[in-house]
Amino acid sequence: MRVRDISRLAWDQIKRRKVVTGLCMAGISIGCAAIIVALSLGDSAQAYTEKEINSRFKMDEITVTPNSGVPNQGKNGSQGEGDNEKLDPGKLTRQKLEIISGLKHVNAAAPFQEIGWLQMLTIDNKISDIQVIGTNLSLLTKYDNTFKQGGPSELAGMAVLNYGATLGLIDNETRQSLYEAMGNDPYNNDLRLQYDNLSRMPTDLYQQQIQFQSTDYSNGKSIVSSSIRVMGILAKPKGMDENMAMYDKKIYVSLETAERLRDELNLNNDSNGQAGVYNNAIIKVDSIDNIVALEKLIQKLTLNTSTNLYQKEMLAEQFSMIKKVALGVGIFILIIASISIIVAMTMSSHQRRRQIGIMKVLGANMRQIRNMFITEAALLGFLGGLLGVVFSYLIVTGMNKIIGSAGGMGGSEGGLVIAIPLMTIPIGIAFAIMTGVLSGIYPAISASRTNALTAIKRD
Amino acid sequence: MLRVEKVTHSFKNGNETTAVLHDINFSVQKGEMVALLGSSGSGKSTMLNLMAGLMKPTEGHIYIADHDIVKMSENKLSEFRRKNIGFIFQAYELITSLTVRENVELPLVFQSVAPSVRKKKALELLEAVGIPDKADLFPAQLSGGQQQRVSIARSLITEPSVIFADEPTGNLDSKTEEEIITILLDLNKKMNTTFIVVTHEIEVAEQMQRIFTLRDGFMITGEQPPTEVESKGGEQDES
Repeated sequence: MRVRDISRLAWDQIKRRKVVTGLCMAGISIGCAAIIVALSLGDSAQAYTEKEINSRFKMDEITVTPNSGVPNQGKNGSQGEGDNEKLDPGKLTRQKLEIISGLKHVNAAAPFQEIGWLQMLTIDNKISDIQVIGTNLSLLTKYDNTFKQGGPSELAGMAVLNYGATLGLIDNETRQSLYEAMGNDPYNNDLRLQYDNLSRMPTDLYQQQIQFQSTDYSNGKSIVSSSIRVMGILAKPKGMDENMAMYDKKIYVSLETAERLRDELNLNNDSNGQAGVYNNAIIKVDSIDNIVALEKLIQKLTLNTSTNLYQKEMLAEQFSMIKKVALGVGIFILIIASISIIVAMTMSSHQRRRQIGIMKVLGANMRQIRNMFITEAALLGFLGGLLGVVFSYLIVTGMNKIIGSAGGMGGSEGGLVIAIPLMTIPIGIAFAIMTGVLSGIYPAISASRTNALTAIKRD
Repeated sequence: MLRVEKVTHSFKNGNETTAVLHDINFSVQKGEMVALLGSSGSGKSTMLNLMAGLMKPTEGHIYIADHDIVKMSENKLSEFRRKNIGFIFQAYELITSLTVRENVELPLVFQSVAPSVRKKKALELLEAVGIPDKADLFPAQLSGGQQQRVSIARSLITEPSVIFADEPTGNLDSKTEEEIITILLDLNKKMNTTFIVVTHEIEVAEQMQRIFTLRDGFMITGEQPPTEVESKGGEQDES
């Protein structure tokens, strides 16, 4: 029997039995849609979260710190430049950074010398606590930074502020009075709101002079640094909202300026006084896939490394679990749907017993009858699958609207948008057809065993 | 063409055995048109089922074209039926979702015959039964007589050795009955096909070349219609 003829006869039955077809298709389509939506949701959420985590935790970066566990082998414990560096294998030195920057897959390797948290003063007497970092300013753009205003300058006494550093600058008097008021009335929502608004208020600091202030704990007096000019303001990173930005306050200065600030403000860091020796460096890698190999190479330079790659692994594990659960739900629905197909088709084969008998009398054998029923079930599955694809698009559109109206995840730009990967459509339809075929086996066998004699028996 | 040898058949109902056919013997030559006449309960329908291979007799042999169908397996019988046996049913038994032409083609569909060949043959047969213009209609759009003509065309499409017609005029009025019998007689002459017509109507049986009469499971005559059966001619066969 030709495939075309089997398909034609199966299609005729599907067209004729509209209620049974509708019920079976509804069941299969729900299961198929559940599978497609589950896979799409899992994929989209994973991609979105990976992007978010990458932008916040910088998974394509390796943080390098000195290996303090390695003993100092220098003569009399002497420290300094030149040959002595070779004798201090655990230190993070300029030479080691140069070696690292020459490694394959390294996009940038720059020191990020942490000077510490200092109080920043503007010329109009506004203050803010800020993290001061000494680095190579010209390499800032290699670390996913873009300049909102100005640009880098390696001249001494120049600085670059990140976006968060321009927020929440309040004059000292207002700040003190607000702190006092909040201390006296900690549950006052108006005061809290006022404080939040002030914390988010931007100040134009481009080309402005700023100073840093620290306290000399030996005599309790404040020390103020010499003036520094703001030569650039970095743009807010993508995906970061104002609330996050106001807690991320950084000022980048050249390594020379950082040295000068340490001297002026009497700051004592671990690597204080050692030119070319850093307490922190960040390596930008071309792809997350190369992180592990590079990390191993860097560790061979007796340095400590850390990455946020574990976040990805954790995420992958979590999403794998979510996908499995969602897939399980979809398959469960398909199993329920398949029961409905088995029932509907068994009923159908019973009702069509006479017709099957006549076909047998006209020469159809058991295999042909069986194939006709299985083709019918597969067609039902295919149609249910197609309907399921339509359903899944409607469901995903609805979900995107709900996510959008709820403010999205991570804001409107770059927020979570569920997309149906093309590959999930054939997977969903294949599951639907498979459900149809598997469900059709029993009714097909049952139909093929119909006694031909029933055809010529008259009721 | 068809030979029935010492066929006995009985049904078991619990511990009880009811014999419905007793030592039946007859034969039909190729191209003959014979009637199997009998009233309700005479065993004629059982005899038809046995000859078509839809049931197996308790004892005896049935030969069609020198093949003993009693010894054949279910699948082999399907294959044999497909090539050698045609059926005409009392209630036509057309597939309502297929057109007239597709219904006629159906036995060839099961033989995987090419659609163009099937179509040509079907149209020729519809012409032969006098409804060439109804090819693209559906059975529901036809009268009873026209549907039976479709059924006749369908039975002939495989060019079978023998055609079994089970009460072919049972659902028709007398005028249409006459038309159908004329068509059958005409086709028998033209195509030299063997017809075995099962009927309870003496008027129908009389138009056949020979009559085999069954009463209470016994073959009482193989040549002439008995007067006993005539009296029960109007009864509906339920066997």
